[in-house]
Amino acid sequence: MSRLTNVFAELEKTGRKALIPFITAGDPQPDFTVPMMHAMVNAGVNVIELGVPFSDPMADGPVIQRASERALAHKMSLRKTLAIAAEFRKTNQTTPVVLMGYLNPIEAMGYEAFANAAQIADIDGVLTVDLPPEEAEECTALLKARDIDPIFLLAPNSTDERIQKMDALGSGYIYYVSLKGVTGAGHLNTTDVANKLQQIKAHTTLPIGIGFGVKDALTAQTVAALGDGVVVGSALISKIEANLDNPERAKQEICELLSAMRLAMDSVGA
Amino acid sequence: MRTRVKICGFTQIEEAVYAAHQGVDAIGLVFYPPSPRNVTIAQAQDITNALPAFTTVVALFVDESEARIREVLQQVPIDCLQFHGDEPASACRIYGKRYIKAVRMQATTDVAELAEQYHDAAGLLLDAYHVDAKGGTGQSFDWELIPKHCALPIILAGGLDETNAKQAIQAVRPYALDVSSGVESSKGIKDALKVTAFIQQVNVSIHTQPHPQGETHRRIEVGRLSLPVNEEVTAKDNDTDVSSSNLNIPLNGEVSDQRDVSMTEKYNMPDLRGHFGPYGGLFVAETLIPPIQELNAAYQQYLHDPEFIAELDADLQHYVGRPSPLYHAERWSRELGGAQIYLKREDLNHTGSHKINNTVGQALLAKRMGKTRIIAETGAGQHGVATATVAARLGLECVVYMGAVDVARQSLNVYRMKLLGATVVAVESGSKTLKDALNEALRDWVTNVDNTFYIIGTVAGPHPYPAMVRDFQAIIGREAKQQCLAQAGRLPDALVACVGGGSNAIGLFYPFIDDESVKLIGVEAAGDGVETGRHSAPLCAGKPGVLHGNRTYLMSDEDGEVIETHSISAGLDYPGVGPEHAWLKDTGRAQYVNITDTEALEGFHALTRMEGIIPALESAHAMAYTMKLAPTMRKDEIIIINLSGRGDKDMQTMAKREGIEL
Repeated sequence: MSRLTNVFAELEKTGRKALIPFITAGDPQPDFTVPMMHAMVNAGVNVIELGVPFSDPMADGPVIQRASERALAHKMSLRKTLAIAAEFRKTNQTTPVVLMGYLNPIEAMGYEAFANAAQIADIDGVLTVDLPPEEAEECTALLKARDIDPIFLLAPNSTDERIQKMDALGSGYIYYVSLKGVTGAGHLNTTDVANKLQQIKAHTTLPIGIGFGVKDALTAQTVAALGDGVVVGSALISKIEANLDNPERAKQEICELLSAMRLAMDSVGA
Repeated sequence: MRTRVKICGFTQIEEAVYAAHQGVDAIGLVFYPPSPRNVTIAQAQDITNALPAFTTVVALFVDESEARIREVLQQVPIDCLQFHGDEPASACRIYGKRYIKAVRMQATTDVAELAEQYHDAAGLLLDAYHVDAKGGTGQSFDWELIPKHCALPIILAGGLDETNAKQAIQAVRPYALDVSSGVESSKGIKDALKVTAFIQQVNVSIHTQPHPQGETHRRIEVGRLSLPVNEEVTAKDNDTDVSSSNLNIPLNGEVSDQRDVSMTEKYNMPDLRGHFGPYGGLFVAETLIPPIQELNAAYQQYLHDPEFIAELDADLQHYVGRPSPLYHAERWSRELGGAQIYLKREDLNHTGSHKINNTVGQALLAKRMGKTRIIAETGAGQHGVATATVAARLGLECVVYMGAVDVARQSLNVYRMKLLGATVVAVESGSKTLKDALNEALRDWVTNVDNTFYIIGTVAGPHPYPAMVRDFQAIIGREAKQQCLAQAGRLPDALVACVGGGSNAIGLFYPFIDDESVKLIGVEAAGDGVETGRHSAPLCAGKPGVLHGNRTYLMSDEDGEVIETHSISAGLDYPGVGPEHAWLKDTGRAQYVNITDTEALEGFHALTRMEGIIPALESAHAMAYTMKLAPTMRKDEIIIINLSGRGDKDMQTMAKREGIEL
């Protein structure tokens, strides 16, 4: 059983939901990320999505775009992101790490070389934003052969047919993009999400992580009740951006927010 | 080529003369006493005496006696006979006149067999079958009965009028239409308005080439002359006809029941999933999949839709101002001392570049899809202006994304867009140029998918954009080919076009891809020089990668991060290129070269001073390469350059570069 599958299974036993933070590797500087990851684990997160910086993050809003730019200014790359993940794994063998990014850095490395490197870094899942199932076969096969979960996105306008496609091709969990828009947008509609989740659950038994539009403990709590996991990204990165002169304070504020989310989410199940 | 029109059954001099002046190709005189449109020899003489030159006179008979036919021929200047009864071929060919044979179509009618029987006829006229009626019935019949290939030109008759003429041309692609009661107010009385309307409808379909009824078109080489010729060959496999409907409908590998919808017979890219070999495809986030599927469905549907095509044709003709001229730059050719240079004058289009060919097409699609909001990205601003223009015309909201750097260097176009009612958003992220404008437009689209149509301006983006934009731009090459054949009597030896995303280049190249004697040369922007790294030449100096929805040659570093590009021309300042160009490069069908900023300026000045035409800085790259190429070629060889845009927008850039204060 993969680390990801295991985490969701364990949580389900106690009726809890996964808290899944997203941060961009190397933002605001390369040595910030590994300690940040450990701190987030201490704050109660279950899975970490580690963003691979890319020069043209087409699906991201301004907050994550700027995170990419800051990381790239420090020459962050896919290789260095893998190195960060490997470093984290040295002292944490339980928390799954999912790489999230765009296809071109993987293309540049080569699919097979990437799959090998991800295996060596003990990566648990790979989510490639601009690689829909139509084009994903080759890459997915290489990852699965190395027990790495390929994670796909679903959107509010995804049809039954596409949900089935993601179910067939993906594993670990499915990332539900809760609104039409880019990351960090702010118009989450709980009823819509609930309805869509019902449709999705009819076609897949994979856990569903819900992201886009989760801002605070209250939205985390609301969203947690609808799916199996809550993804939070821009809200965390905003803390980094607000404290560029003081990364330690950013780390502290991020952990406080995550702890509050953890608490709120767990009180749903109670 | 144009579908010919024959109007049958004139009885009045004025009506026939009127029709001739409206552009009818042939008038039919009925020598069949039971018909209400029957004419006497005297009437026929009056009519033919009044007709101007070049209007063919056709005499119609139904099982008439040889004596009577000879009498008519003796007294009336008839050009062509039409046999509408059960005349065998032996009875048709004894008069020493060209003849057409009318066939009343039934499900069992074997047109091919008839074409063989009447092999010396000048055409087969296909009409509806009616058990009692001989001669025209005024009824239409099932056009599906008409075989795709026929050894004789097909003249379509039966139930035609101004409401279905275009449709008939699209569906059957006949050599000619034959109409009688469809242009009458009452039996035998032609209605001037209906005659005019009918001919206009045929003219609207003017770009639609007739189906090559008949002949297996083959190319024969006569010296250096390469033209399609008609031969009596039955094998259909070697049909290399170049005709097409106005739109070169992308088959995407699908076998279509449409007739001859593809311009290129051998070349058939992309495949169903939008792949040009390893390039192209669909690399987008999940939220964009449904709108792209919706777009693809609409695109497939409407490009087979005669009404859509007719509307597009009309817009291209009356709004854009097509066809654009093919101009022989004689003075410049002499000066360079080599090949003859022809310029395809896309700069003369409305809004000043080729970009409007595509925006007119996509806007019509948007309208049919019920979208109320248009977005676009733009580099030099030409595509933005072309988009804002069509949006203004259709009353659609328009938002144009433009890199902040480009906003500064193309302020004139920014102002034009604003005048046209568009909102121009200066994009401050990344390198603040075209690629970042595309990123931002994609983000907008993801957010507003329900009511928004994204008009991509080049042959990039996710499938179906590369194929769709190409198909809208292929009008450039189709016209150029016809014009070159008409003016020079032969195909060109080389085509030269600048390549940023590559839409003007593919528009010119595409209809020539099967013509292997024609060299295709794309000119990329070398900026300060490819060796300096400050350039925009992914085909010359990049490697395959994925950006903006497709796999193509890309300028990115070893980590896969897209690197900043440079060119004096904003329209070429893009790190990727259309995936079809990547494929044409790999297969060797096209070659890609590069021209520096400095060389482009030489090209700019050369054309301006030698021919009195100020080119856009983008197009100036093609001019500059031609200055190298032409002198290496013989004087009887031909280069066509796509003059993709006019230079007005670049006055500030030029002045600044040359240290002049405006």
